[in-house]
Amino acid sequence: MSQRKVPITRLNKFFSEEDFDLEISMGQEWLNGDMNFTLVLYAVDQQRTIKDDVYGEVSSNGIQFKAPVEFRAMVRIEEPQNAFLGSSRIVQNEPGNLIFSVYENELSKMSIDIKLGDYIGYWINPSEVKYYSVVNAAQPNYDNKHTYGGYKSFYFTYTATPVSTDEFNGI
Amino acid sequence: MALPKQIKKHLPLIPKKFGFQRREELLEYIQEDGTYLPKGIGHADMDRGMLDFVRDELKTVVDGKVVPPVDLIITTQNWAQFTQTWKFEDLNGNPNPPFITTVRNPDVKYGSTPSLQYTIPNRKQFYYAKVPTWDGQRKGVDVYKIPQPVPVDITYNVKIMCNRMRELNEFNKNVLQMFSSRQAYTFIKGHYIPVVLQNVSDESVLELDKRKYYIQNYEFLMMGFLMDEDEFEVSPGITRTLQMYELSVRTKNRKVDMYPPNPNEFPLDIQFLNSNTEISELFSYTVDLSLNETDNVDSFSVYINDDYVGDDLTKIQINTNDVVKFTVVRNDNSKDAVIYTTAKLV
Repeated sequence: MSQRKVPITRLNKFFSEEDFDLEISMGQEWLNGDMNFTLVLYAVDQQRTIKDDVYGEVSSNGIQFKAPVEFRAMVRIEEPQNAFLGSSRIVQNEPGNLIFSVYENELSKMSIDIKLGDYIGYWINPSEVKYYSVVNAAQPNYDNKHTYGGYKSFYFTYTATPVSTDEFNGI
Repeated sequence: MALPKQIKKHLPLIPKKFGFQRREELLEYIQEDGTYLPKGIGHADMDRGMLDFVRDELKTVVDGKVVPPVDLIITTQNWAQFTQTWKFEDLNGNPNPPFITTVRNPDVKYGSTPSLQYTIPNRKQFYYAKVPTWDGQRKGVDVYKIPQPVPVDITYNVKIMCNRMRELNEFNKNVLQMFSSRQAYTFIKGHYIPVVLQNVSDESVLELDKRKYYIQNYEFLMMGFLMDEDEFEVSPGITRTLQMYELSVRTKNRKVDMYPPNPNEFPLDIQFLNSNTEISELFSYTVDLSLNETDNVDSFSVYINDDYVGDDLTKIQINTNDVVKFTVVRNDNSKDAVIYTTAKLV
């Protein structure tokens, strides 16, 4: 990353860093205080995971994880799709993807970095948790949608697909 | 300026082997660091062999920098990609071109190697080697058997992704030089396995309103084989043979029993059943009848060809085609009477 820092001065006639921070803090208060959608990040520990040198795979329960971290996000789970499992003629109700958006502040506050292949846990009811694998690591996030009116980006939107218990079933 | 052909660029310090010595050398590769058996080859070994082939044999250097290969077959475990691409990722975590990646078609088909097709049925084991053994007392051998390897065809797509034509050209040159004779060989666990260049295609994204980059796809067919070490068999060979013969000490030949038995003498019982007191019989052979005993017979008379011969005879001479008639007087008329005789063929 470049060492040279250039202050963002766009929109500064009617919008400033303070305004931006205020808006973000209000949004976070609403998301964290009112909505309170909680997810758990199981980040894969690339250093400690022993994998084979052909496929980079590990056996069942062989992935090593960093300590799970709870974080808050705006969560959307897509509708399941009833379809054949490939061409096997086995009918399966394929659960929908998990799409969640996280404030950049939240990631830095929790000191986490959600990467491709990390696992996400989401409690769908008090006794059942569903796990997802991140397939879209939300980078880059400087498109208009993820910025505040074009001022600065302030959140990431991740996509995660459901995983079977054979692949990951919590730690 | 190129050097004249007479000048050797490299002087081989180790002379190359030919003929029988070369075949022995190949066998040593197969058995290196192990037993006398060949090392097993599985799908993962062939995948590793292909990755090594791409990394080493198709190594591409442009402007003094090596185009990095993704030294991994990416599977469903998404996180594994990072272990290979982090060296050339941008700040957003996306891999930066140029790089080379190898994609294996998951379906592995029955092989088209002609030398391995359908020649030994039913996984039958065949002789591979005899290995000498010594147990401290006796010399022997272990017989090593293995089943015929199963031929497999695996298709790999090696893709180069780059932004410059010269990177494409360099990689293309390397591939075509390597496959100028259509096929090249990977060296997997001591076995040479052929790889055939099947097709070259272009998947470049050159649309006007998108980021432009080149992707060229090289389709390779590896004509490999599977060898499962669990199917290898080692059994002890024969170390000592003991041959035994059984001989007769008799000096005379023994008489062979006739079969079926055909005696000269046989019992002949003349039975007078119910109220019968007379029996006639045509004899088609010459015989002497000797009386043994009688049962419920007071007296009997004998007639040959209706000529009276005598009463209660103990011996009767009968010629061929004689009709012999017996008449009997019973002790008890309510019971059967029997004359027991022995017939001796004359």
